[in-house]
Amino acid sequence: MLLTPNAMSPRLRWGLYSVTGLIALFLILPIVFIVLLSFGSSQWLVFPPPGWTLKWYQQFFSNPEWMDAALASLKVAVLTTICAVALGVPTAFALVRGRFPGRDFLYGIFTLPMIVPLVIIAVAVYALFLKLGLTGTMFSFVVSHVIVALPFTIISIINSLKLFDQSIEDAAVICGASRMQAVMKVTFPGIRPGMVAGALFAFLVSWDEVVLSVMMASPNLQTLPVKMWTTLRQDLTPVIAVASTLLIALSMLVMFIAATLRRRNQARIPS
Amino acid sequence: MSAVIKDPPQQDQRTLVSLRNLNKHYGDFAAVDNISLDIQNGEFLTFLGSSGSGKSTTLSMLAGFEQPTSGEILVNGKSLVNVPPHKRDIGMVFQRYSLFPHLSVRDNIAFPLAIRKLAAAEREERVDAMLKLVQLEQFAHRRPAQLSGGQQQRVAIARALVYEPRILLMDEPLGALDKKLREDLQDELRQLHRRLGITIVYVTHDQEEAMRLSQRIAIFSHGKIVGLGSGYDLYQNPPNAFVASFLGNSNFLKLKAQGNGVATFEGKPLSIRLTANLQTDQDVLLMIRPEKAVALSPDQAGVDPLATGWNEVAAKVTETLFLGESQTCAVVTSSGTAMTVKALSASGMPLKAGDPVCVRWASADACVYTQWSESDLNKAAGAH
Repeated sequence: MLLTPNAMSPRLRWGLYSVTGLIALFLILPIVFIVLLSFGSSQWLVFPPPGWTLKWYQQFFSNPEWMDAALASLKVAVLTTICAVALGVPTAFALVRGRFPGRDFLYGIFTLPMIVPLVIIAVAVYALFLKLGLTGTMFSFVVSHVIVALPFTIISIINSLKLFDQSIEDAAVICGASRMQAVMKVTFPGIRPGMVAGALFAFLVSWDEVVLSVMMASPNLQTLPVKMWTTLRQDLTPVIAVASTLLIALSMLVMFIAATLRRRNQARIPS
Repeated sequence: MSAVIKDPPQQDQRTLVSLRNLNKHYGDFAAVDNISLDIQNGEFLTFLGSSGSGKSTTLSMLAGFEQPTSGEILVNGKSLVNVPPHKRDIGMVFQRYSLFPHLSVRDNIAFPLAIRKLAAAEREERVDAMLKLVQLEQFAHRRPAQLSGGQQQRVAIARALVYEPRILLMDEPLGALDKKLREDLQDELRQLHRRLGITIVYVTHDQEEAMRLSQRIAIFSHGKIVGLGSGYDLYQNPPNAFVASFLGNSNFLKLKAQGNGVATFEGKPLSIRLTANLQTDQDVLLMIRPEKAVALSPDQAGVDPLATGWNEVAAKVTETLFLGESQTCAVVTSSGTAMTVKALSASGMPLKAGDPVCVRWASADACVYTQWSESDLNKAAGAH
């Protein structure tokens, strides 16, 4: 118990506080910078900004290229979320409830995209879609994003399914519900926190995915991170800071929703 | 209300459920080994056994969660084996309550009726009757997590009874509760059974609970039913040495038969119950319940002659224990056989360790077994 705050010498305690503070600052500063720059009046991204303006936001929202990219991002993320949950739920059931040889091996396969370097997946998927002539389609975006989002969704659902007492589902069955009805009416509400978390993970993975998206993108269809990437290589406009800010804002909103749901869920379980 | 609480049941000894040569194998392992059993309509039957004895697997097959490897389950003569669990019209109460956590108490109890698409008015009426039956009216709108363990189990019972199933299965339903609450709920359960006349199959490893609740007990060991009967019969006249040692406490003496009603112990003759086909010098096992034996000091034994039909063995006291309402006296005979004698404290037992002692019992109270295995005499045995 040497490391409880009260047992520590004040010196050590303050030392730890400052190190923690510095690390937090290190993590937060880039976000603060980019948000401030998006409101700065200098078009060369000078820091600190000489003045404040909303004109970059105006430019962002009035430029159809940016808007199309943002809309495409949103579409891809929503479709990825739907597909990841639709595939993740049955997969998680099979991996938790199933009694078949090779189950652990299958779990390894499903979580492999978390370990394999993204570039390798990107090249492989790109080569495949090139052959099929499907690059630059919504389909190719969603499929490639689902590959990397699925492990997060599956793990999240597996965790809540493992915690769910199966005898509750059995109770519904013996009460007269078919196995399917019991799963829909009793098990799904029981594992909802895991399903929601899995959905949010999938959304976030897709929303800021750039490596796969750069490969899949075409002049007609690109997501927000891809648009930022290509714009960045031509000129350094503060509109990129605006796009970044919006990207961060939506991500934080999703995180906030997840945290709120988790808290509400914990409040329901009495101590 | 009348829909739920029927008139007191007529003692109708019709067989409701028949298990015929039921087997459940997992690979080479027989979890349930060729069980045959008839369950009477309206009876309270308990499956008693240690964990792994096959009692829960048998219940699971009755519920339909496990498929028998072979054998038949008949209800009113019709096979249940291929009927899925949700169509078996069986109620079940689980060990961990297994209430639906996202539904209120009322909605939990209404669930089976909602699934059966009962009209709202009738559903409400039946749920109200059930809430009243289990005395939870004022908790109807709570979530299960806001109830105590005993209340949760009462909700589970109400949920299992609301659709008036023919059979109620209970899988160690009181196992998670503390002793006092468990005894209260046992009393409630017994009254409930009496009022509703429903057939209950109850699983427990607690023999006192089995005795308190059931009309008949089936004792499970190694996937087989090794004893079946009322608690009284199984305790007083256990069908075999395993049941004798499993239920309550017992003293075992190894004798040599000298005829159908006589045997020798440590070279001295003892009278035993008449047992057919005993060969001279055949090994027989005598079982005496500790409370059926009497321990007397040699002085007492001298003034109190041995009654006819009684036996006496000389021994030495190893330990006496005072247990409140009763007291026990552990003795060892000259050949080293340990015995325990139990008596009510009120009757007195002026003995102390090291004293010589005479242990007496009526031969009618001692059971005779001709076949047994050493592991039967060990209380811990019974599971795989």
